[in-house]
Amino acid sequence: MDEFVTTARSGVRPASLLKWAFLVGIALYFIVPMAAMARFGFQSVPTALLTPDKLFTGWSVSGLWDAMTDPRMLAGMKTSLLLVLFAILLNLVLLVPLAIVTEVRNPHLRPYLTALTLLPWVIPPIALVVGVAATFRATVPWFLASVFSLVPFYALWAMPFTYRALDAGLQAINARTLYEASRSMGASLWTIIFRVLLPNMRASMVAASCLTAAMVLGEFAFASLLLKNTLPTEMVIYQAKNPRGGLAFAIFIMVLTAVGLGLVVRSLRRRGLNIQTTGI
Amino acid sequence: MATVDMSGIRKTFGASVALEDFSLAIKSGELVCLLGPSGCGKTTALRILAGFERPDAGSVVVEGRDLSNDPPEKRQFGMVFQDYSLFPNMTARQNIDFGLKVQKRPSAERKEIIDRMIAVTALEPHADKFPHQMSGGQKQRVALARAIATSPKVLLLDEPLSALDAKVRETLRDEIRRLQLEIGVTTVFVTHDQHEALAIADRVGVMSAGRLEQLAPPRELYEHPTNAFVASFIGTVNRVQAVGADDGRWRVLGRSVVGSSPSTAGATNIAAVRPEQIAVDSVEGGAGVVESVSFLGPMTRVIIDDESYGRVFADIISADAAGLRPTERVRLRLRDDVQDVVLIGDAA
Amino acid sequence: MRAIFRRENRLGLVVLIPFAAFVGLFLVYPTVVVLLKAVTPHGELGTSALMRALSGTYRTGFIQSILLSGWSAIIGGVIGVLLALVVKSLSRPKWLHPTLDSWSAVASQLGGVGLAFAFIALIGTQGIMTKVFSNMGINLADYGITAVGFWGQVLVYLYFQIPLMFLVMMPAVNGLKTSWREAAAIMGASPARYWRSVGIPLLVPSTLGGMLLLFVNAFTAYATVYVLNPSGALVPLQIRYLLQGNVITGEEDLAYAIVAWVILLLLSSLVLITVMQRRTLRWTSS
Repeated sequence: MDEFVTTARSGVRPASLLKWAFLVGIALYFIVPMAAMARFGFQSVPTALLTPDKLFTGWSVSGLWDAMTDPRMLAGMKTSLLLVLFAILLNLVLLVPLAIVTEVRNPHLRPYLTALTLLPWVIPPIALVVGVAATFRATVPWFLASVFSLVPFYALWAMPFTYRALDAGLQAINARTLYEASRSMGASLWTIIFRVLLPNMRASMVAASCLTAAMVLGEFAFASLLLKNTLPTEMVIYQAKNPRGGLAFAIFIMVLTAVGLGLVVRSLRRRGLNIQTTGI
Repeated sequence: MATVDMSGIRKTFGASVALEDFSLAIKSGELVCLLGPSGCGKTTALRILAGFERPDAGSVVVEGRDLSNDPPEKRQFGMVFQDYSLFPNMTARQNIDFGLKVQKRPSAERKEIIDRMIAVTALEPHADKFPHQMSGGQKQRVALARAIATSPKVLLLDEPLSALDAKVRETLRDEIRRLQLEIGVTTVFVTHDQHEALAIADRVGVMSAGRLEQLAPPRELYEHPTNAFVASFIGTVNRVQAVGADDGRWRVLGRSVVGSSPSTAGATNIAAVRPEQIAVDSVEGGAGVVESVSFLGPMTRVIIDDESYGRVFADIISADAAGLRPTERVRLRLRDDVQDVVLIGDAA
Repeated sequence: MRAIFRRENRLGLVVLIPFAAFVGLFLVYPTVVVLLKAVTPHGELGTSALMRALSGTYRTGFIQSILLSGWSAIIGGVIGVLLALVVKSLSRPKWLHPTLDSWSAVASQLGGVGLAFAFIALIGTQGIMTKVFSNMGINLADYGITAVGFWGQVLVYLYFQIPLMFLVMMPAVNGLKTSWREAAAIMGASPARYWRSVGIPLLVPSTLGGMLLLFVNAFTAYATVYVLNPSGALVPLQIRYLLQGNVITGEEDLAYAIVAWVILLLLSSLVLITVMQRRTLRWTSS
């Protein structure tokens, strides 16, 4: 857009300056809260007593360490990791065959499937929890007693982006053509799935798993309202008792999630797979 | 209308040189084609003329005024893009109206011009359609109408037909030329298709690697290419060895002819011989073997593998080629009516 | 639809049925029950619960939620679009575009508990920004920029709204062909003229769709509001209150009714967003 704004001088143009000022402003907006969180979590000087000369004193990771070794937090971490694992498994088990069969043999199913996987988006945790209370809690309370009753619902909310990721991956490798070529060479459906298609879907499966993990590790509403103890709910409880530690841990988790997701997104872009993380 | 004078243009993108000492003088009302393979710099030259790129050196003078520092908005040119570039949120009519509105013409005048443009490009049934409802050919005609509606000083076309089907390409190509002649607007047409260029241009500038190799009317380019690149780029050419005799003439394919430069005894050169300049005689034990015979309608293309001359293409009137078959032995000869040949460099 | 039952599509059915059953059981069944109960308060068909859900404190709740989501959608939307346009127009440095692409994909997922904590550390009563500004003599609470204040909450929401809008708008912004800009220029149009006649009209449908997405995203956010302002008057919190304190019968009906309204809101937003997307697609694929 700027290539043919002809000006006499070849230096920095005012329009560019404005744009960069805007970008810097946005960057500041995103960095400052994180910095505040880090300061609160890792510096033991209370805000009220903070003066410029004390800015570099009292830094330690003791808050983080305390949080990570707290028994309830550990239990929450373990639970959440298990939930992540099961949610991913359930999702992949349900969707991978479906995605493959749709792309390869029954493409006319695709619009129905896309619509179906969009349904969880229309019914978010805060809405579904009421439905669950009205139905499962009343009829099969033993089901909801276990924390793993969260798994099917988490799988549901991971569905929009999981399906899209799998579908994008299949389309990127021209699964239909691969399938037909393999069939014409005499391969059975199972061979094709396990030896041809799945190995090529690794990238999108990893992406879907990472997005699911991020979602599950951050999901608060459903777990909290069903009185379950997952990492996010324990973090809130812990933070009330121990603000410094709570914040230190929160930023630790956020950085971990951000780095993990970031790496996944980058490696996908390099393969040309543009997977939508919004699900819509 | 306007004369265009680009002189001494040099343009580099990073380390690569897109244009090197490029100069082009166009007469008022002329249609000049810039022809060449991808990467030869023809589009860069056009964009510099339009004002979308600034040259590192050189000047652009139109109608005697130096436009080198003017942005595209001020040049009063019209341009047709390869991807049509019609505004998708506007109908054909509104697209054509856009430039006129920018020129602040009164609405009665705008309507009259638009109606005339639509009539002249035969767009009546599509006038109120949106680009996504039109075919490629229709869209390009709208783009053309839009470009000339504002009575531009110069009309620029950047490979306008490349995205179209072959049949549409031919019809549209002739329409563009017809309109251009009618309006008399100075036009620069960039293309990589030599048939387009030869068919409609007043002069064609053949470009290669940032340089203008030859600027001449189509016929002259075809009959008298000045170097090897132009000779092989335009039409098909056979590179045949020419041996110099001591009378200043050259011996080519068994006959003595005048070369584009005089010879000395024993000198060797390469002659650019067109397929239609070659005669093929069925001779037992001849030096050439027929590889293939392709019936092309009025002419038949015969490909011969010759012991001395290598692979040779000959175009023969189909009636004369009736007896030729692959694996037959033949002798090649320069046709009797060829009196001179173009020499394009020294033999290796 | 009949095609599904043909013989060669049996494999498709075999794979589809467990999936459909899963979605049916865990998603459709609870939702349908809620919707049915919403229109049958006290066991009889009627709209009394639905109407009650829109009155009194619940009315305030809806209005507050709409205002909060609306403002964060509009502000976040505008900033997101501007960000997309700025990034598209800057071809240097080369790392800018991919970095922002990755960042937006990640940052739009980082809502929730952690984010709420961060803003407590920033604009809470012990927040560092609160302290810095009070040292300068400005009381942020007066402007509502606290963890529980309206504009403070909008500020928090922007943290995931802006990246989400950027993510959603980048394809649309990329779809603005340079050749349109050039065509406008060669016909004498200034940049402002181009934007007015071509650029902005083309971006409007996707921008509106994006803002609607942002609105929905904010409306259903729970963790952030729970941590920052658990006693606030917002729809998600009211649902919680009704859910956890539904000792009094009749109160459940309210929860169902509120959820019914929320689902209606989400469904209509989805339809509108799809319409907007189709519009943009039609224009930019020509």
